[in-house]
Amino acid sequence: MRNHRLLLAPAILSVALLQMLPDAARAGDSEFHSLVERMSDYYQKRPVRHMGWLNFFANRYTPGGVSHFEMAIFDDVDASRTHAIEELGSSLVSLVGPSYQPFVSVQDLRSGEWTSIYTRESGKEQIEMLIISIDSSDAVLMKMQLKPEAMRKWLEDPMERARDARRGAEDAQRDRM
Amino acid sequence: MNARNKKIRSGALAAFFVAMLLGTLSMPAFGQNPRLDIKNLEALAKKASEVVDVNLDGSLLKLASKFMTDEDDREALGIIKNLKGVYVKSLTFDEPGDYSEGDVEAIRSQLQAPAWSRIVSARSKHDGENAEIYLMTATDGGSVLGMAIICAEPKELTVVNIVGPVDIDKLSQLEGKMGIPRLEEQTDESGQKPEGHRAKP
Repeated sequence: MRNHRLLLAPAILSVALLQMLPDAARAGDSEFHSLVERMSDYYQKRPVRHMGWLNFFANRYTPGGVSHFEMAIFDDVDASRTHAIEELGSSLVSLVGPSYQPFVSVQDLRSGEWTSIYTRESGKEQIEMLIISIDSSDAVLMKMQLKPEAMRKWLEDPMERARDARRGAEDAQRDRM
Repeated sequence: MNARNKKIRSGALAAFFVAMLLGTLSMPAFGQNPRLDIKNLEALAKKASEVVDVNLDGSLLKLASKFMTDEDDREALGIIKNLKGVYVKSLTFDEPGDYSEGDVEAIRSQLQAPAWSRIVSARSKHDGENAEIYLMTATDGGSVLGMAIICAEPKELTVVNIVGPVDIDKLSQLEGKMGIPRLEEQTDESGQKPEGHRAKP
């Protein structure tokens, strides 16, 4: 009986800690929270749950130069709203606020996918990047900080990096399913 | 006293006209702007299968220059730090002929003399590729205020607008970076010499 208790205690503690981790990861950035809220208002939908887990692990395994990664996925969004690109465009601008500058946007008219990337200075030598990727059924919001080595890659080929980001968003949606 | 007032007035007038003249010389021709209105291509975007926009305005370029610390970036950094903006719009089409010469003309119409002059035009009959480089110079012909590059391929149209002083001889340093296409590949294949030359500023 005592042995069972000994085994149970760390298990309960682990579960409790793991339950707290996603919230801790989410609590890190209130601005991202408010962006998610505004996107929720736009689509009248809550983001997919348990993304804190993904964010938590992603922050440990993100490639060189990327940190403070956060992501929110909205699935089965109202496709009729997504196709109103102009409305969506102005909505996104108001969504990110004036501190973010539009950097790259890629629009695939065949699939209806649209990825918009905004940047702003963050600290001495870092750039904060906000990626909004939307297709006919899903919307993904990503925010991250880039160190110089990561930003250099974006400047080398912003078009290809933006396509990579779009593919990354698609992969994230697929992996979640 | 009246004579003195007259002298002061005429002196002030002369100074005003000199200032106006100097100001006019360093400005582009009236009504022309080194920043192109690429919105003309919005209608064309509806026919495209993919549309990519790259916007690097002054603040982002300034920020970018902080990251270009490699030895290889030194020359590019020298150009970038003086630029006011780099804007790229690239449209990809499913089929050749999805866009017409008239669509490109909407951009070309903004690149008129005297402010703008075409310094390179290379056409490849084989591949149907066409690359044009335009420069906007101040009316004194001394300083470059901006550059426009039009790369037209059968299934792709790219317009690059560089705002700010850029040395055409150093343009190669920016090729392949920030969404600016590699022009050497296109002009080498054309086998044609540049046309519409104007004295290099």
